[in-house]
Amino acid sequence: MSKVATVPPSPLRAFWLKWRFHINILLLLVPLGFMPKYFADAALFRGDTGIGERVAGQVQVGPWSLTLAELRNEGPRPDPAGPMKLFNAALCDTCTNQVKATYLRIGKPRSLRAAGVIFFGTPYRMGAALPVPERTPVDAEVWVTMEGWDGSMHQGSIPLSQASPATIAWLNKQGVKP
Amino acid sequence: MTFKRLTRAALLLCAAFSTTAFAHNPMCECKEIPGEQIQCKGGFSDGSGAPGVTLDVIGYDETILVPGKLGEDSTLTFKKPAAEFYVLFDAGPGHVVEIDQADIQAQ
Repeated sequence: MSKVATVPPSPLRAFWLKWRFHINILLLLVPLGFMPKYFADAALFRGDTGIGERVAGQVQVGPWSLTLAELRNEGPRPDPAGPMKLFNAALCDTCTNQVKATYLRIGKPRSLRAAGVIFFGTPYRMGAALPVPERTPVDAEVWVTMEGWDGSMHQGSIPLSQASPATIAWLNKQGVKP
Repeated sequence: MTFKRLTRAALLLCAAFSTTAFAHNPMCECKEIPGEQIQCKGGFSDGSGAPGVTLDVIGYDETILVPGKLGEDSTLTFKKPAAEFYVLFDAGPGHVVEIDQADIQAQ
């Protein structure tokens, strides 16, 4: 007869050995909490919920027009190149074949060269990251410049307060910068 | 070995889900330096420099006062124009940065 010495496990190990099955089930449940946000984001980026979280409205640009929307209903996000606000846009049905490029800028552009940021993507869902200087006045206008394949150029504007109330709130929170 | 594989998978996942991290917005800073000169430095928000990129100094009347290109160190130094001007860092259509003379910090 041999004697086997049994060392009792430490309390921590005893707890683990007793509950490890249930703890692992709990771990599997953690991702469920993130599911609603994941599916909301997936629908937003696929376009199932429209071109953005908040549609700002139509902007008439000469003979053309576009629907401007905020990708997210929030203020600009920080970026090494300064605060950036993401906008999405869709061209009007009749102008998708006529417009070569669409630009977005806060304030009236000085020239076509300095027309602002360019929209990327299909005419039905384009995106652009608009730099928002911290000293932007709250009554600023967002200018849309469109360049046609025929060489023509047209401009239109929409108040920033209409394009993105969240950005106005962000500017007010920042205070006036010198 | 498994750890290495896991790290690789994690890196791939990070790359797949980072959309904004890939954006490289143009950046430009100008400052006044001694001798009535202005030095501008261009680059992109992903940290890369911009050697050879066009940087023009343009008058308020849209005449190009100093047509220039950034040097190997992504900077360009030019004499401060007498007329009112703005600096245009031009990395292609829609990839521009405008700096008005009022926004150029004095030394």
